[in-house]
Amino acid sequence: MKRYLETGNFAITEAAILAGCRFFAGYPITPATELAEAMSQRLPQVGGIYLQAEDECAAMHMCIGASLGGYKAMTATSGPGFILYADPYGWALGCETPLVILNSGRVGPVSGITGAPGQGEFYLTRYPTQGGNFESICLAPNSAQEVMAMTVEAFYLAERFRMPVTVLADQLITDGFEDISVPENEDEMKEMGFRVWPRKIHQGPDFYPATDEIDIPPVVLGHNTGALCSDWTPTEEGYDIEEVEAHHKHAFRLIYKVRNHRELFSHHNEKKFMGDDPDLIVVSYGTPSRVVNTAVAKAREQGLKVGALRLINLWPFPDELFNQKAKYLAVELNWDGELVREVQRAAPDDSKVHFLGTCGDLPTIADLIETCEKILKNEPLARKGWVLEAW
Amino acid sequence: MQYKSSELTSKYLRSRKIPSTACTGCGLGINHKIVVQAIAELGLEVADIVWGTSIGCAGRQTFATWKGDGFAGTHGRVYAIARGLRIALPPEKKIILTVGDGDAFAIGLNHLIHAARSNTDMTVIVNDNLGYQSTGGQYGWTTPQGSKTDSSPYGMFEQNLMSSGMDVMKILKGAGATFLARHVPMDGAWAVASVKKGIQNRGFSLIHMPFPCPTNFASRELGSRDPVNIYRWFKEHAAPLGQEKESTIWATGIWHDASNTRPEFSQLVHETVEKIRRTGSI
Repeated sequence: MKRYLETGNFAITEAAILAGCRFFAGYPITPATELAEAMSQRLPQVGGIYLQAEDECAAMHMCIGASLGGYKAMTATSGPGFILYADPYGWALGCETPLVILNSGRVGPVSGITGAPGQGEFYLTRYPTQGGNFESICLAPNSAQEVMAMTVEAFYLAERFRMPVTVLADQLITDGFEDISVPENEDEMKEMGFRVWPRKIHQGPDFYPATDEIDIPPVVLGHNTGALCSDWTPTEEGYDIEEVEAHHKHAFRLIYKVRNHRELFSHHNEKKFMGDDPDLIVVSYGTPSRVVNTAVAKAREQGLKVGALRLINLWPFPDELFNQKAKYLAVELNWDGELVREVQRAAPDDSKVHFLGTCGDLPTIADLIETCEKILKNEPLARKGWVLEAW
Repeated sequence: MQYKSSELTSKYLRSRKIPSTACTGCGLGINHKIVVQAIAELGLEVADIVWGTSIGCAGRQTFATWKGDGFAGTHGRVYAIARGLRIALPPEKKIILTVGDGDAFAIGLNHLIHAARSNTDMTVIVNDNLGYQSTGGQYGWTTPQGSKTDSSPYGMFEQNLMSSGMDVMKILKGAGATFLARHVPMDGAWAVASVKKGIQNRGFSLIHMPFPCPTNFASRELGSRDPVNIYRWFKEHAAPLGQEKESTIWATGIWHDASNTRPEFSQLVHETVEKIRRTGSI
């Protein structure tokens, strides 16, 4: 095990290499640029390929091509580039091509502030493409060490589910310097909980079984198996077809292969003081969860019956974690509230769900504790839900 | 060399996809046969080629016709997919892409230019039916100037990539393509020879092959769906390079042949990476 004082981008690069990634294509965008730069430095040293694309759309399509040819591939971007992945994401999803996407969130909408963290792509990671009829997988780490683990895990899930998997980080994680331990051999990787799934080759010509089965190797072109893949609705052999029934089978597979195998990733979510029947549950993901965890621990010391629920696996949304009758507070790095809407949907019907948003900066511990106190005492919040207190 | 269509079909194509669902009189089948014949004349086998297509008449009608491995990309993006795939495939595998004019010269032009710039080994066959015909018959950027289409009812009045002095082939040559040719369906063996050269070039090759669409283009512009009319019209408006007349729309033949003169993209990348891996620098 080697220890470094390095950025999340460094951790992601080392993780990708450990997971077997040997192809990265990207397009410069703050704050994901340093990851591309790190990849351009490190990948050739291990025989891997770094390519700079003409735009984000091309970058992800290049990754698709490399994955179709048998490489484990990855791309990285920030929000304004992530939206340009809509086209290739849909293709990779429909063709069941494994791929890992790192999205480092910054303040939006659109270009916004390049050097400040944001959480504006919560829903975009659920629906990164058009047409519906699919399920997505998204993991949200909250530290440089964890983004390393999650990147390795994303490759593992991408291979087993043969689909693109998104790691939703933010600017603080990718740009921030932290203490990082990098495993140096397989034993150390296992010790750290890193799981690696090798690339296998689908022998075709059948494209998919119309079941929720996973662990079917992805299509790899160039082996003369007669393998086919396209963005049209496929038959089980991979031909394009314009029949709704065939599409039912395709959609069923895309949705339920993920939903019916949630045990593979649902253990990731972090629960603090949740077994203690809290009156208020503070829900968060990504870097705000670090402040939330500290604030909740301090609130506990002050006698407040508060719990912290940190979501790592964002999609499929872990509805089952919201079965407690309690008050909920969603803490997010945006002003409009995205996570809070899913919490409202998943929480028991008579639950009160509150929202605390910040933008470009983390909430303070004092702010969080004060908000918790007021909610528990049924007092009005200084910031009323989605309404800003001042322009 | 003459081949019977049935021989080519049974050796290279999937029987369930032939004949295609193309409209009566569509010239795409002629273009497709030209490409498959070139493959046969080069002695290539099914396993030697990965075939990519895209959206629209050209992509949809040629997808999965090849007996071997194949894919269809979203509109205009196949060149980026092919560049990633090229990196992963062994160098001896050929990538052939059959795409449409909208795919190549509109939505995909940026990706196409970068495929040419990097001299990525692929052979792009642009099956140009003079516009967007699968969506009903709108004009594209190589639709002959002034043509009446569903989206140019007064005639296509914008300057486009076939206008005088602005041929798309010049853009691609400037971008670094190492083999460029243009042919109309009646070019026959001449077109086959160009496709063969394109496939033999270890680098970026593009063969622009305009073909007749009787259903949409001919019915709007020529007032008739009779295939004979549009084939005659094609013949009148095509001429070999150097023999163009005022009425010539398509100057045919080899536009640029710098085959095997520049490093091929994936070879360059792999060799450079290998050197960095061994020595730590380029």
